[in-house]
Amino acid sequence: MKRIMQSGLSLFFILMASNVFAAENLSLNDGKVRVFPAILMISLLILFILVGVFSKAKDTEDYWAAGRGVGQLGGGMAIASNWMSAASYLGMAGLIYLKGYFALSYVLGWTGGYVLLLVLMAGQIRRYGKYTAPDFVGDRYYSTTARLMSALIVILISFVYAVGQYKGIGMMFNWIFGINYEISVIVGTGVVLAYVLISGMLGATKNMQVQYVVIVITFLLPLFFIANKLGYFSAVPQIGYGATVWDIGHGGNGITAAAADASYYLPFAKYTAYHWFALCITLMLGTAGLPHVIGRFYLVPRVSDARWQVVWGLFCIALVYWTAPCYAAFAKFSNLSGTIGVTISADAIVVNAAELAGLPEWFAGFLAAGGVSAAFSTVGGLLMAGSAAFAHDIYFRVMNPNATEESKMKVARIGTIILGASIAIVAMNPPALIGQITAVAFSLGANTFFPLFLLGLWWSRTTKEAAIVGMVVGLSVTFGAMLLPKTSILAYYVPFTSSAVVGVPAVLITMIVVSLMTKEPSAEIKELLYKVHNDEA
Amino acid sequence: MEKDININFFRPVGDFMTKDVTRKKIVLVIWAVATFGFLLLLVAMGDPNVTTQVTLNTGEVVTQVAGKSFLTETRFLGFPFHYWYSSQFCILLFIFLCWWYCKFIDKLEAEHSK
Repeated sequence: MKRIMQSGLSLFFILMASNVFAAENLSLNDGKVRVFPAILMISLLILFILVGVFSKAKDTEDYWAAGRGVGQLGGGMAIASNWMSAASYLGMAGLIYLKGYFALSYVLGWTGGYVLLLVLMAGQIRRYGKYTAPDFVGDRYYSTTARLMSALIVILISFVYAVGQYKGIGMMFNWIFGINYEISVIVGTGVVLAYVLISGMLGATKNMQVQYVVIVITFLLPLFFIANKLGYFSAVPQIGYGATVWDIGHGGNGITAAAADASYYLPFAKYTAYHWFALCITLMLGTAGLPHVIGRFYLVPRVSDARWQVVWGLFCIALVYWTAPCYAAFAKFSNLSGTIGVTISADAIVVNAAELAGLPEWFAGFLAAGGVSAAFSTVGGLLMAGSAAFAHDIYFRVMNPNATEESKMKVARIGTIILGASIAIVAMNPPALIGQITAVAFSLGANTFFPLFLLGLWWSRTTKEAAIVGMVVGLSVTFGAMLLPKTSILAYYVPFTSSAVVGVPAVLITMIVVSLMTKEPSAEIKELLYKVHNDEA
Repeated sequence: MEKDININFFRPVGDFMTKDVTRKKIVLVIWAVATFGFLLLLVAMGDPNVTTQVTLNTGEVVTQVAGKSFLTETRFLGFPFHYWYSSQFCILLFIFLCWWYCKFIDKLEAEHSK
């Protein structure tokens, strides 16, 4: 078992460090400190740490589950800021800028998944009453092996997901402070670790609410000025940019018909409908299978609150998702009208959009600081989920069941540091665009946890053997898709960002077949699941 | 007689679960049709005469239908209609679906004094 884990991990490291995907522009700024953005960024970081300190975790119960006392809107804001990472804030706009209508599948995938999460998971998971995703897997599938494997997958997901976030932090620190990308990543790692270690999840939950407010304000505010400057309806830029999209495709407002780029809005100009579908469904299923998202449902005292949190969370997320395509469109528009003198990188297009529109530097500074906040809030949640999997599910449940509170806490902290540092190493040489790296984390979640939860909650016949085989198949598909030669025909049908389109059906079928071939789960397991669905005796 | 304690999404047991699952199915059908049904519509309506050249990852260059149709050429709030539908309307619909389901299940739980 240990052997397999070790070789799996080293393969994974090689894969992540090999940088097979793309070489791109990571340095936007050589040596110039941007004063206002720097002051803003530093004040925000101090604010986050202070909030963390004043809402410090007292014991392990607090550290993991934040005392289970978070309200609906508060919980929704925490879900949203935990959710919205550098991938939403920076990455999504960059992908839309590059890929046009195709990249709207990111927008839909990352919102539509919440419908699945709410309808199929949220209430039932809360009623099951476990702390972490591996806890659920271990109990439902009555197996220590399944618990261990799922804990390892949680760590893997946190790892991949966080690599994208570190890249965002590195690029923004580089833009603000003019220090080079690698040093930016190290500085960013230090700050994130500091506040996660000081505050734990109670601090993190409070912090997430503060961060949500920062994210929304910094993301929405500059847009009015950009829209105004470019001559579009600026009272509600989320509607005003519609005309921008039209002009990009057809010409208008200074863009000649010859310079217009119809591939920006035509649905299948660059990719096929199949690829749109594959990506969208992967992100949706991944949303319903990400442990750090599922984990938020244990925080609320009542089942009803767990569900309403999803509605509020989705609304809070939507405010940003309605806005991200605006930045892509405005940047594309400025680009077509021939603005020069700005170093552009797809993953910094949000910041570039403000620069391209010719606004004063502090607008772009606002966006850069907001992007870092978005990355921070998510990395906080990911490190928590990863270290909880290590300390609670691996150390406490398997290695040392008699562990005291202090030693669990210590292991959690050591786990956080190791995880944080190893992520930084991989992020030095980022393997793809932020949005794409994040999509790989979603594929992983979709191919492993989604089927485990779906069948675990909705089909009591699912057995422990099925769970274990299912996880193996899910991992193989995800990493297989990453290893496929880039130019192969198989890689065309199973892109590494969208492997769940093949993976989830494969895992579901495998799990059903294996379940039917193995011995039924005991009456106690079924009894418990029955109660989750029907309280009255 | 022994009670049936097997749980299966497609064979719900008990009054509560039956009603709950029925509503879940409706929500999921709307969700799927709105997201992927619209994609199929875009494909079906695409003007076969408007094509683009695409280079695949295999190096092969293929010609594909770009998907231009009345859905993409009608303006709504300034947008090409399909762009507005995907980037704004669908998200709104998702929020509505979640809200609608939460209202329903709260009421159902109250009736069953959960």
